[in-house]
Amino acid sequence: MSETWMIAGAWLAAGLTVFLFSFLYKDNPFFKIAEHLYLGAGMGWWFQVYLYNIWEPKVWKPLLNYDWTVLIPSILGLSLVTQFIPRISWISRYGFTFMMGYGAGLAIPAGLSTDFITQIGGTIKPLSAMASSTPPAIFNSLLVAFGVICVLFYFFFSVEHKGAVKRVSNMGIYFLMIYFGAAFGNTVMARFSLLYGRFDDLYTFSAGQYLYATQFIIVGMIIYFALHGFLTKGKKEAEAAH
Amino acid sequence: MLKEKLEKFFKIDRRCIFLVLAVVLFAPIMKPLGLPNKTIARDTRNAYEFMDKLPAGSFVLFSLDYDPSTRPELHPQAIAMIRHAFKKNLRVGVVTFIAGSTGLIEQIFQTVPGEYNKVNGADYVIFPYMANPVAVMTQMASDLYGIYDKDQDGKDAKTLPVMQGIKNYKNMSLIICITGTAMLDYWVAYVGDKFTVPVAGGVTAISQPGYGPYLQTGQLKGLIGGMKGAAEYESLIQAPGKGTSGIDSLNLGHVLVLLLILTANIILLIIKYL
Repeated sequence: MSETWMIAGAWLAAGLTVFLFSFLYKDNPFFKIAEHLYLGAGMGWWFQVYLYNIWEPKVWKPLLNYDWTVLIPSILGLSLVTQFIPRISWISRYGFTFMMGYGAGLAIPAGLSTDFITQIGGTIKPLSAMASSTPPAIFNSLLVAFGVICVLFYFFFSVEHKGAVKRVSNMGIYFLMIYFGAAFGNTVMARFSLLYGRFDDLYTFSAGQYLYATQFIIVGMIIYFALHGFLTKGKKEAEAAH
Repeated sequence: MLKEKLEKFFKIDRRCIFLVLAVVLFAPIMKPLGLPNKTIARDTRNAYEFMDKLPAGSFVLFSLDYDPSTRPELHPQAIAMIRHAFKKNLRVGVVTFIAGSTGLIEQIFQTVPGEYNKVNGADYVIFPYMANPVAVMTQMASDLYGIYDKDQDGKDAKTLPVMQGIKNYKNMSLIICITGTAMLDYWVAYVGDKFTVPVAGGVTAISQPGYGPYLQTGQLKGLIGGMKGAAEYESLIQAPGKGTSGIDSLNLGHVLVLLLILTANIILLIIKYL
């Protein structure tokens, strides 16, 4: 990639980042430009992905080699589009039927095995090996089993939650709250990581080799907000007087 | 009087908090503080040890399924794990089911293989993007070349030296999925459990707690979570990268959040009981 393109890319990346962050101060046309560009570019990107990574190698090229079998999935896929034409929308059922059957056949056995049977085994197995476990491991196994039972009670609605059942289901709420707390803490960390990533890029683009893209764009935004505030100040005062 | 003054605290313009947060996160980028990252999570260590124990020449399949939206967390993880694989002279295969990750994969393999004198086709192979991950994963169980007959550059995959003796999952020693999507769940359910292939993962911090059950049952051999996990893995392979440098910012950011929560709660208590 030539140096000019690298600099242009840096200005574009830094510009769009600053424009999007500018919404935190207040809504402005630069934010709108970045937002619309993001949507448009995203659609364009997906269109070319489907065209060159799916349609061309999976449909067009096999057809050029007289592989007519690809017509079957292609027609099933195209049948989904008939949904938009009410008169013939029933044709889409054939495509959906195939998708449902294929998806359910793959997902149900795998889901049952991975997320249900293996997890029940994982909860019970450590309890059966308690004789050879260390005290912390025993405590951990009991806590996990106790937590699973309590949470299951919380989601068991066929018995009225009162007395002992209520106490157990309330314990389930505490276990759930601990999970949500841990998940939220991790979410905060993840968001900071993403923000750090953008800042790191902005710092990179602030170098001389990118013609100080970040500094120029930030200063430009500050000038815009200052001018906008100054020019609209009179209008606001007039409106307030009315 | 004091109560009224304290109540003003809750009327602070939130943009002030944004500004302080921006300064706190940006300052360490300009001037790194070098805060230590002393704790290594058990799951990160497990992932490291599993790969570390593989004999040289073993084939490790990387499924790099993340796009620029999760790059700060997942890119350092991928770089650290690929560095480790090359350091251990493992053969590396790369697949992706996220179209947006192709550029990021290219970025990694422009620099990392050169550090270890690894050659495309002989030591590693990059396969092109494929849609419909579950169908691809299922097909690869019987014959990998039924899906990936060519590598990213259009070379015949079967004849590449790196692919010698590799036909399906039975010939692979480890699958590593680094993703900000549900792709790791698919690898566990449709490949790891079904064909008894060891699977390890790298995920965003948000999704990390959800993988606890898979770790407890051994369905996942190890897990790296977020930028912190990347920093831990970089420490283990002794190759500091973007994960390590981000720890300063994360630490300061967390301290700021803790301070704000503590201050707000103390003020609330004072207002309530004064």
